[in-house]
Amino acid sequence: MTATIPDDLQPVEPGYRHVLRLQAAIFWVPLLIGSLVLYHFVLFEFRFGVALPLVAFLLAFSSVTYAPSRIYRRLGYALDERLVRIVRGWLFHTDTIVPFVRVQHIDVTSGPLDKMFGLANLVVHTAGTHNSVVTLPGLRPDRAAAIRDAIRAEIRADAE
Amino acid sequence: MTDDPAPAPVEQRGERLHPLFLLTGLGKVIRGAWGALAGGAYLAFRGDLTLAVLLLGSFVGFSVAALVVKWWTFRFHLERDELRIDQGLVSRSSRAIPFDRVTDVDIEQGPLHRLLGLARLRMETGASAGAKDQEGTLETVSLARAGEIRDHVRARRRGIATDPVAETSGLAEAPPLFAMDMRRVLIAGLFNFSLAILAVLFGASQTFGDLIGFDPLSRAFWSGLLAQSAPLQAYVMAHRFVTIVAGSLVLGVIGVGTGLVRTLLREHGFRLDRTDSGLRRRRGLLTLTDVTIPARRIQAAILATGPIRRAFGWTTLKMQSLASDGAQGSHVVAPLARLDEAERIQHSLGRPLAPHADHWRGLSFGYVTSMAIPLALLALIATVATAVVGPVALLAAAGFTLAAVVRWAEWRHSRYALDGDMLFIDHGWWRQRRSILPVARIQSLDVTDNAWTRLFGFSRIRLGVAGGTLLVPFAIDAITRDDARALRQRLLAR
Repeated sequence: MTATIPDDLQPVEPGYRHVLRLQAAIFWVPLLIGSLVLYHFVLFEFRFGVALPLVAFLLAFSSVTYAPSRIYRRLGYALDERLVRIVRGWLFHTDTIVPFVRVQHIDVTSGPLDKMFGLANLVVHTAGTHNSVVTLPGLRPDRAAAIRDAIRAEIRADAE
Repeated sequence: MTDDPAPAPVEQRGERLHPLFLLTGLGKVIRGAWGALAGGAYLAFRGDLTLAVLLLGSFVGFSVAALVVKWWTFRFHLERDELRIDQGLVSRSSRAIPFDRVTDVDIEQGPLHRLLGLARLRMETGASAGAKDQEGTLETVSLARAGEIRDHVRARRRGIATDPVAETSGLAEAPPLFAMDMRRVLIAGLFNFSLAILAVLFGASQTFGDLIGFDPLSRAFWSGLLAQSAPLQAYVMAHRFVTIVAGSLVLGVIGVGTGLVRTLLREHGFRLDRTDSGLRRRRGLLTLTDVTIPARRIQAAILATGPIRRAFGWTTLKMQSLASDGAQGSHVVAPLARLDEAERIQHSLGRPLAPHADHWRGLSFGYVTSMAIPLALLALIATVATAVVGPVALLAAAGFTLAAVVRWAEWRHSRYALDGDMLFIDHGWWRQRRSILPVARIQSLDVTDNAWTRLFGFSRIRLGVAGGTLLVPFAIDAITRDDARALRQRLLAR
C-alpha cells in the first residue's frame, strides 16, 4: 500500500495568536522593566547606555505585536488515517511526521493561558530519544480530543 | 507447560534477598562514608577524639541498621508473568514488573559477589531514564537463583516454554557468535588509548609534579634516575630536548597502559552468543557481566571506527536497544571485530551490514558550501589582519581553511542508502559511523531547514529512534528538499 503524505495543511485556531502574545508579554515585560531599572541607576552614565532599553523595547514590541501572527501563519498540521504532520517555523523550519502506530501515549493539555482562549494542546509521546514529545498547540478542546481518539483507535488496532 | 507456576516454589510472603546482602551492601556504605570520615578526621585532628569516635560510631551504627532494615523489609515475588518487589519500612512501595516489558535481564558480579557465589540481577524495562538504577534490581541473590529467574523471564517473554536447563547448558557447548581472545582484547586496549587521559596526565605532571616528586618533564627527575650513570646524566642535563622526549614517552606509556588495563578489566573473556531470543554477552575480568539483548528490542545497529582502527581493518559494532548499557547508551556487541565478523552478527539477526552498492546517495553539496563560504570569509579577514596583528593571524587563516577542508572530507564520506526496508547512514571522515536502521523502527521524522540552509537548497532529516542518546543522532545532514520529500514518502507512506 502506498499512500502519499498529506499536503493540505490546516491552520490552528486564530485564538492561538493571543496565547503567543500573552506568553511573549510575560517573558518580555519583566526584562524590559529590568533594563529600564538598570538604565536608570547605572547605564545613564554611559554614552550609549540608552541602547540596552531601546533594544529590549524593540524586541519586546515586535515579539508581542508582529511575531505571534507570523508564528501562527507558519504553523499548520495535517492528518490522515495513518500519521500526523506538524509544520512550524520559517527562520527555523521544522516539518515533523509521526506515524500513529509509533505513538506511545497521548495527552491533551491546556494551561491557564490556553483556557483563557478556550484552546488545548495535543501532546504526542513517541519512543524516540529525539522528538520524544511532539506538541501541537492551539486546537479546540473537542478537536484535540477527537484527534486523540483517532490515534488511540489506531494504536489499539496495531496492538491486536 | 505454559501454565505451570513459577519454577521454584515460593513462599506466600515472597523471598528475601540473600542474607549476605548485608556484607555486599557494606561496600556501598563505605563509599558513601567519605563525608563522615572526613568529618571524623577533622575532629580527631582538632583533638576532639570523643566526638570523632561518636560521629563515626553513630554513622556506622546507623548505616548497618539501615542495611538490616532494608534487607528485612525487602521482598520479591517471582510470579508467572511478573516480578513483584515490596520494600520500605515507613512508606512501603510495591512494584510490579511485567515480563512482557522487560528488555534486558542483566546478571552482574562484583569481586565480592564472585567470591561468595552471588550475583546482582537487574531487569531493564526501558522506562524513564531517571529511575534507571531503581527499577527491578535485586542487589544480592545466589548465582543459581539469578540464573533461574532469568530463564523464567526469558521463557515467559517469548510466550513459549523452553526447557531452561537445555538452553543454558546447550549454549555452553555451542560455538560463540563472536568472541575475543586475549590477543584481541589487548589490541582493543591499545586503541582505547585516549588523548584525554594523556592531556590530564601532562597537566597533572606539570602542576603537581614537584609535589608528588614525579615530573618526567623536568631534568631533575631524570638526573636523579640516572645518577648511576654519570655520562648519561651529564648528557641529559645538557639537552633539555632529550628530557622532553623521554618524559613524553613515559606519559605515553602510562596513557596506553591505562587504556590497556581498563579494556582488559572490561572486555576480558568477551563472548557473544546467539540465543533463541536474542544476543547474550558475557565479559569482564573482576566484575563479570552477563547481558541478554532480546532481538526484537534491538532498534538499530551502529558500526563505528576511528582513523587508526580503520587502517588496520578493525571496527566496533553496537546495538541500540530500548535499554541502555550503563552510561554508554548502546550495547557493544563486538568491541573490536573484522568486518566479516560484524556482518555475521548482523546476519544472525536477519539484517544486512551494507546495502547494495547502487543504493548509496551522497549528501547535497550545500553541506560544504554553506560552511565553506563563511569560513573562507573568515580566512580572508584573518589574512588581511596579518598586516595589523602579525603572522599569528596567518595561523588563524590556516585554521579556518583546514576547517573548510575537513567539512569537505566529511561530505565525501557521508552518504545514505535505502535498500528494501533498511536505511543506512554513513557519517564522518575522521571517526566514521554507519547507522543501520530498519524503517519500521523510525518513531518520527523531522525535515528541518533554516534561512541559511534554504539559501543553499538543502534540508536536514532527523529521525526519532528509541534508545541510545541524543549525542548520536540519526540524521541525514544535507539533502535537497525534493530528495527529502521523496525519501520521507518512501520511509513513512507504506
